[in-house]
Amino acid sequence: MEALLEFARGPLFRLSFAIMILGLIRILALDLYSAWEAYRKAGDKTLPWNLIITRTLHWMFPVKRVINSRPVYSIISILFHIGLLSVPIFLFAHIQLWEGAIGIGWWAIPKGLADILTLTTIACGIFLFIGRISNKASNFISRKQDYFWPLLLLIPFVTGYFCTNSNIGASGYQFLILVHILSAELIFLLLPFTKMAHCILMPLSQFIANLAWKFPANTDDDVCTTLNKKGAKV
Amino acid sequence: MRTNKITEEERKKAFTSLRKPEVIEKQKLDVLYHVEDFDTNDRPRRFLEAFAAILKHSNYRMALDHFIRMSAKCSRCTTTCQVYQATGDPKDIPCYRSELLLSIYRRHFTLGGMLRGKIAGTGHVTDEKIQEIAESFYNCTACRRCVQECPSGIDHGLVTHLGRYILSEIGIAPRALVVSTREQLEGESGNTSAIPVPALIDTLEFLEEDMLEEKEVEIKFPIDVENTEYVFFPAVSDFLMEAETLMGIAAVFTATGDSWTTGTGYFDGINYGLFYSDRILERVVKKIDVETKRLKGKNVLIGECGHASRSAKMFLPAYCGGDKAFPVINIMEYTHKVWKEGRLKLDPNVVTEIVAYHDPCNIARTKWIINRPREILKAFCKNYVEMTPSGEDNICCGGGGGTVSIDEIRPYRTTVGGKLKADQIRKSGCKILVAPCANCKKQLKELVEDQKIDCEVVGLHDLIYKAIIFDDSLKVKPAEKEKASQEEN
Repeated sequence: MEALLEFARGPLFRLSFAIMILGLIRILALDLYSAWEAYRKAGDKTLPWNLIITRTLHWMFPVKRVINSRPVYSIISILFHIGLLSVPIFLFAHIQLWEGAIGIGWWAIPKGLADILTLTTIACGIFLFIGRISNKASNFISRKQDYFWPLLLLIPFVTGYFCTNSNIGASGYQFLILVHILSAELIFLLLPFTKMAHCILMPLSQFIANLAWKFPANTDDDVCTTLNKKGAKV
Repeated sequence: MRTNKITEEERKKAFTSLRKPEVIEKQKLDVLYHVEDFDTNDRPRRFLEAFAAILKHSNYRMALDHFIRMSAKCSRCTTTCQVYQATGDPKDIPCYRSELLLSIYRRHFTLGGMLRGKIAGTGHVTDEKIQEIAESFYNCTACRRCVQECPSGIDHGLVTHLGRYILSEIGIAPRALVVSTREQLEGESGNTSAIPVPALIDTLEFLEEDMLEEKEVEIKFPIDVENTEYVFFPAVSDFLMEAETLMGIAAVFTATGDSWTTGTGYFDGINYGLFYSDRILERVVKKIDVETKRLKGKNVLIGECGHASRSAKMFLPAYCGGDKAFPVINIMEYTHKVWKEGRLKLDPNVVTEIVAYHDPCNIARTKWIINRPREILKAFCKNYVEMTPSGEDNICCGGGGGTVSIDEIRPYRTTVGGKLKADQIRKSGCKILVAPCANCKKQLKELVEDQKIDCEVVGLHDLIYKAIIFDDSLKVKPAEKEKASQEEN
């Protein structure tokens, strides 16, 4: 057990974390590269920056649209994201580990707040999962990963909460912390290759969508040539 | 704003194909709209070839790559899609529609998809899937309202645009659009309504006489004048169906004295390429460029038409020289400008009915023209009411994306596509609905007729024509008027 825990804490953590970081850098770089290519090929290089920036900020900090449509679902989704991002990064215990390993630490959230955030994240996650199964429309468009992700994301939160807040004995603690670490590492591994990629691509969305309407000039001829349709009638 | 689902009876009416069974049989394509005869063999292979060719010579790959990674399937778009709200059919969810094409892209054009497909041996694009796309992509009105609501920023309008482009390359495009475009690009008349130049000149002269009688002002439609400030391209159907709008525009120019002209070489703003093919889009846009150059004009002026304005404004720079391309302005921008400068005077006592303004999606969604027409309307209409939502969040008339030109699907457009709009019009209680777009106008007229709403649909310049006040110096004196009419006889 202890050897396994050591392995999960050490090499496995480093590997999965590295894969996550490199994977995210890869998709970001690919996105930026193809955006640059598209910009180079575009016949019209003026972009509606005002629209892009306002809409990007608008969705990064979504407050305006919340009330307009599906308010309950929207608020829960926002709370879920806040907990999901803030707890793993700003938890005191996590920062201590970073400080011990690489000597860099940062500001931590108080324990009480961390507990509240953890519990809201768990509650919101469960709600979102139930919403996905019970709503006819959501259900219809969901893929396997859409059901899988909220459940996987909750595992480290539930185990983490129990590890810090209950008296479960040494072996129980060790087992829970192992599950906590392994599930987090699975999340790291899958992050760049699934829909979770939105954690890094999100700020580029409005830019990409607007740039995509900037078509390259003279593609009529090229497409005709490639499809062997040169001179064909409409 | 939300709406109730359509009733079973309405559903039956909306989804009954008006096409003959033998045509459906022959084309092996069961869709509501009519397609010209095309090669039915080997559709999946040809679909993929067309897809590959388009990806090679376009910027779509960037967007598709981004979208397949981003799509979180949150189903927020269900709250805005008017088609989904009317039918309640999950197949009409924008995200589901986009996924039809995105899944083909993922399977056939990404490394992961190809590997997974090889191992599992599944997911290959099939005839059924193409059939589903052909049906689904023309149920969408391409209003792009769902884009506003997507937290992931997925442009479902762009995906629909691309899907239709690929379909058109294998011969699946609504016959109504193709026939018009053929006349525009290869026909003798060179415009979508097949109006020959002599008929155009006749029509305009007739309108000039009419206006002289009504307004006692010599209002002209200058033809083929070189070096003018504005070269005018209305939706060509206006010459046949919306003469009042054109008269209003001519009246504004007469009042201001600015130079403008309609060219006999090409006078059609309509560009169905925006709805079904980038290749057509490019060819049509280039015709505008050629005609403006021929007349040595300074600006391209588009009439009251949403898609014509957007296709010229966005794609004239794209296809005809970037920042060196002719500036494109919509007639409402011009009218607003001269009204602000005090060169256009409107009588506030002419229009007394309740007036509402409908935003055409193609000019409002990008926040291009929203407030300008409203400012003008509020200045001279006593009873102006606002419909909500409006502006960039407006509700589509239900005939967007070229569907308005497909007469076979009128029952679909007026019971499904336009249902939410019909509710909105009823709620506003307006008696005059101003829709400055040829597409919207045709659709809304059919909508108020089929949904039995007591409301008149007009263009902005129809009202301006009624309310315009001319300077006394422009008035034709009785003697001159007689002389003018004698000359004509």
